Amino acid sequence: MFAAKQSDATPAQRAHIRRTLWLLLAYVIILPPLVWLRAHRHISDGILMVMAALAALPVLGMFASWGRYLSDERDEYHQAVTLRRIAVATNATMGAAVVWGFLQAFGVMPLIEAYWIPFAWVVMQGAFGCFASFSRRES
Amino acid sequence: MENRLRVLRAERNWSQQDLGERLEVSRQSINAIETGKYDPSLPLAFRIAELFELPIEEIFVSPSRRSSKAI
Repeated sequence: MFAAKQSDATPAQRAHIRRTLWLLLAYVIILPPLVWLRAHRHISDGILMVMAALAALPVLGMFASWGRYLSDERDEYHQAVTLRRIAVATNATMGAAVVWGFLQAFGVMPLIEAYWIPFAWVVMQGAFGCFASFSRRES
Repeated sequence: MENRLRVLRAERNWSQQDLGERLEVSRQSINAIETGKYDPSLPLAFRIAELFELPIEEIFVSPSRRSSKAI
């Protein structure tokens, strides 16, 4: 999606990119003070839950933005390409998470925080997007 | 799916962008359909047929008919 040239982007893609950039900005602003508070202040469990929810909100917003994009996109080809990319990224990420989970349970691999899974999902999407556009160019 | 979209477009001297604007889809969609990488939905296939004033089967080659010809 981000690889799409701005002039080639559909209105729905442009809106999704705009929403995502705002959410990323919100994430970058919200996260550091929460991490600092967690490390330097004694905070009750209730407040910690609120802080965790606050940190998660922008990421949840990004998922909601993907849903909104798929609903807003009027170009069926772009919609199909995005759906395929999401399906591939979801399968690859879930597969990797399951394998890593068992490796971790058997003590072979270290613990990875669960919030890295959505990050891996986005990276997988980008990787598949690059691979797909490279194959299109090759053929 | 094989189709004659590129030929029909060229006969009218339309670019992929022109055709995309007429069909209200992106240039990339037109390119993907022309190169057979994407099969349009039935509503879009009808819009294409109506734009060129041709029956759908004169624009898109039925995969089953194509394979029976090959036999």
